[in-house]
Amino acid sequence: MAEEEEDPGFDEDLDDGGNGVDSGQGKRKRLFSKELRCMMYGFGDDQNPYTESVDILEDLVIEFVTEMTHKAMSIGRQGRVQVEDIVFLIRKDPRKFARVKDLLTMNEELKKARKAFDEANYGS
Amino acid sequence: MADPDRVKPEDRVEHKSLGSGSTPGSGEPAAGHSRPKEEGKARPGDAAAAGEEDEEGSSLHPSPAKKLKLEQDKKKEKRQKVDEDEIQKMQVLVSSFSEEQLNRYEMYRRSAFPKAAIKRLVQSITGSSVSQNVVIAMSGISKVFAGEIVEEALDVCEKWGDTPPLQPKHMREAVRRLKSREQIPNTKHKHILFH
Repeated sequence: MAEEEEDPGFDEDLDDGGNGVDSGQGKRKRLFSKELRCMMYGFGDDQNPYTESVDILEDLVIEFVTEMTHKAMSIGRQGRVQVEDIVFLIRKDPRKFARVKDLLTMNEELKKARKAFDEANYGS
Repeated sequence: MADPDRVKPEDRVEHKSLGSGSTPGSGEPAAGHSRPKEEGKARPGDAAAAGEEDEEGSSLHPSPAKKLKLEQDKKKEKRQKVDEDEIQKMQVLVSSFSEEQLNRYEMYRRSAFPKAAIKRLVQSITGSSVSQNVVIAMSGISKVFAGEIVEEALDVCEKWGDTPPLQPKHMREAVRRLKSREQIPNTKHKHILFH
């Protein structure tokens, strides 16, 4: 019973930004409009997605980042966000977990490759 | 900044396999993707694996080290073969794309959240600075998150007999579905079971 009353409340928070009347989240300047449009096209939407949909998605992403940050601050070393905390929080979600591992591994390899390249230049 | 899409050509072959890593249902270990390049650098990864398997090996067999090494070599070979197969399949697939599909695939791979904005956002929440790896991880999972929502919304759109572009009602229904599957983190509503 309580959950049914909660849901409309949450949804109002999410979509009010596009209606012209500014809600808390609608007042903020749009951070990711351009990138999100490209991303939505890449994921299967139309080449020109609706601005309202892009806004909704931006609010969702910002909320996601905020939640993850708060959770990461509350575990491991308190008050700080560390990679290990993020990996721990993601552990149950196979897609995100695999993606984070991939990204971090690639980053390490790129760093090593760059370092080896610089040393090779320095030597010659 | 390191943009994975702009790495040198010899890295691109390995990089192509990462695209398939993001597709649903592929549960391969992430370390498998980097195997081809990691010949000389395999030691750290193997040492970590050896550290985990050491306990069971030493209590069961007289020559645990040799047995472990054989197992690891077999697993590494299998992973390399699966990797090469996957890279080949991806290459065949991408080479048969139409122009519109190529455009979309390019957008899918290249689009990313700006690291500066993500860093600013996280720092404004924590109040202290965060490392570069945190920004990389956070932008990565945010992109996966956005993808999950868009894919679910496209499912909803198709189910309701509408066409793209996605409308806010599709997005909202997608969010509702993902919430019921607990794929959207929500710490605002704590359901207390016994009170």
